[in-house]
Amino acid sequence: MPIIEVDHVTKEYRLGQLTSLKQSALNALNRLTGRPVEQREPFKALDDVTFSVEQGEVLGIIGHNGAGKSTLLKLLANISKPTDGRIAVRGKVAPLIEVGAGLVADLTGRENIYLNGAILGIPKAEIRRKFDEIVAFAELEQFIDTPIKRYSSGMQVRLGFAVATSVESDILIVDEVLAVGDLAFQRKCFDRMEDLIKFQGNTILVVSHNIRQIERMCKRVLLLDHGHLIADDDPKVVCDEFYARSQSKIAETSASKSAHRGRVESTGEIDLLEMSIEDANGKKLDQVTTGSTFSIHLRLRCHERAENITIGLGVHTTDFVYLTTHNSEITQSRVDLSAGDHDIYLRISHFPLLPGLYMWRMGITCGDTYRTAFYGENLLSISVLKPHQRHVPASMRDGFFALDGVWEFESHPESSVT
Amino acid sequence: MTGLIPNLWQYRELVAALAWKNVAVRYKQSYMGILWAVLKPVVLVIIFVILRSIVGIDSGTIPYPVLTYCALTIWIFFQESASEGVNSVVGNTNLIRKIYFPREVFPLTSVVTKLVELCIGLVILAGLMAWYGMAPNWQMLWIPALVLYAILAALTIAFVGAALNVYYRDIAAALPVLLSLMMYMSPVIYPLQLVRDKLLVQHAGGDWSQALYLIFTLNPLAGLIDAFQNVTLRGLPPDAEAILPGLVLTLGLLPFSYLYFKRAEAYFADVI
Repeated sequence: MPIIEVDHVTKEYRLGQLTSLKQSALNALNRLTGRPVEQREPFKALDDVTFSVEQGEVLGIIGHNGAGKSTLLKLLANISKPTDGRIAVRGKVAPLIEVGAGLVADLTGRENIYLNGAILGIPKAEIRRKFDEIVAFAELEQFIDTPIKRYSSGMQVRLGFAVATSVESDILIVDEVLAVGDLAFQRKCFDRMEDLIKFQGNTILVVSHNIRQIERMCKRVLLLDHGHLIADDDPKVVCDEFYARSQSKIAETSASKSAHRGRVESTGEIDLLEMSIEDANGKKLDQVTTGSTFSIHLRLRCHERAENITIGLGVHTTDFVYLTTHNSEITQSRVDLSAGDHDIYLRISHFPLLPGLYMWRMGITCGDTYRTAFYGENLLSISVLKPHQRHVPASMRDGFFALDGVWEFESHPESSVT
Repeated sequence: MTGLIPNLWQYRELVAALAWKNVAVRYKQSYMGILWAVLKPVVLVIIFVILRSIVGIDSGTIPYPVLTYCALTIWIFFQESASEGVNSVVGNTNLIRKIYFPREVFPLTSVVTKLVELCIGLVILAGLMAWYGMAPNWQMLWIPALVLYAILAALTIAFVGAALNVYYRDIAAALPVLLSLMMYMSPVIYPLQLVRDKLLVQHAGGDWSQALYLIFTLNPLAGLIDAFQNVTLRGLPPDAEAILPGLVLTLGLLPFSYLYFKRAEAYFADVI
């Protein structure tokens, strides 16, 4: 039996201000006398969403801002009621909707642990038992009797997370909490959550904008878009879909501003007129395959003579992880460009990136001091497909780079049996 | 209404923790601490004593400062429970929007918080009585029941007020005015005996006297304050005739107030 069932759930909010007392009175009068009532326009934060979650599942929920993720969590945590449809939650929910909701600035860490525990529904005896563990996890032994208004924000979040994850619950709801704290603490949070998943059989719902994190943690991912549930599948499939949609959205917004795509900084000496991917015959491509050979074509316009320039071309993911960069200085000493237009090609052989969607960035420096004359990210997208000629294992999507290796198997049939 | 008692029990630790937080936060970083809670009735008693020296109010055999301090102790408990209860939901917006537990926890917490201050007020009252050489008596066993009555009266206002206040903040703004009006309608400055004499003995209202007295005692605080003074100062049991109209009204309205609160509760997080 599923532990969470969401059945054709719709949540509407009324747009605009609350009606005034006078308007409410008039509406009531109109309703009584059967005249039409002035209605404010409803906004569907969730529109006919249906899914169910089994015990022990780790479910990620992703989507753009305003897609309805937080609304969905609020409904599951019983903070808000659906306008239509039915939600059944069979088990105790520990909401982490916001870590540290209910922390009181004037109280000490110790007092806040007891108060926050009570708010999250942990019996006092249980908090007393787990107190040392909570403090140790939050790494706050030294500051536990200091009012938390003197804490750094990271310390407050650690305290909140430590208390919230000590709730003995069946369902843990996590909303964007792992985006905080330093790396070591994030690592600890992960371990704690994995412990909850593996050893205590908790069901976990995670909302995050960090798609990579979701992809790694979850067994299943939901993609919401403007209140609609548009994908409910394996993390890889859904995350790719999400990237593709983000990409088309980025492309849409940049098309309207045509000249400047993404983040571009330029001193005005050099303009990028055109950037494209071309095959050996100069034919423009919008997608390539892993291991293929192609060129990046840049058409630059120099408004004045530029001396000692270098050009760097790099690939980053749609969430700006820089994967690789190639600088013209590596194969070519610095060159001078006269005023006018120039065609420049970067020939790439055996493109190593695994299938996925990536972006190009480009920078130009001038002079002996490597002064940046032009820098832009998200300049051009490149969609990499798997090579179609041979069988490709599913793990082809795990990572970014193809590893150039050869397997050898040496068998020793006699030696193992002794 | 039936859900309230089990909820109350299930969430007792939460109510206790939140009430303790309210008390702790209010008096942290303050030198006088919880003594501030005592200051308000003391100042009011001084004002009333000065007022009385001008207009003259007959306090019977009881010294006037004790009589009026006694009335203020229970009145201020009621008034602050009600007004904090009404503000409690809006005042905890961050919790309402983040975490679920039954929302009646908030008005209940306000009442429990005020109980702490009431206890201090009662200690001061005992001190005042000792100063005037008044002995304690067995009728004082009524005090818990009377405090419970004050809680129910405050909750009747707090539930419906807190729910309405989520939609219309006018409620919280109007409440202090209404409550101070109610204080003058209650026997705080003057003893109930004066009203009774005027209406039931002297028939100042003519044929309407009996009805006017009934209306006066429909105010739960009229009977409550009189009964509180009876059991602590006069050694008499509560006056049933004075206390019943208000008690019936309170017990009649409280379920509706609570039901309205529970119905509105589902939309608090959306509207607040």
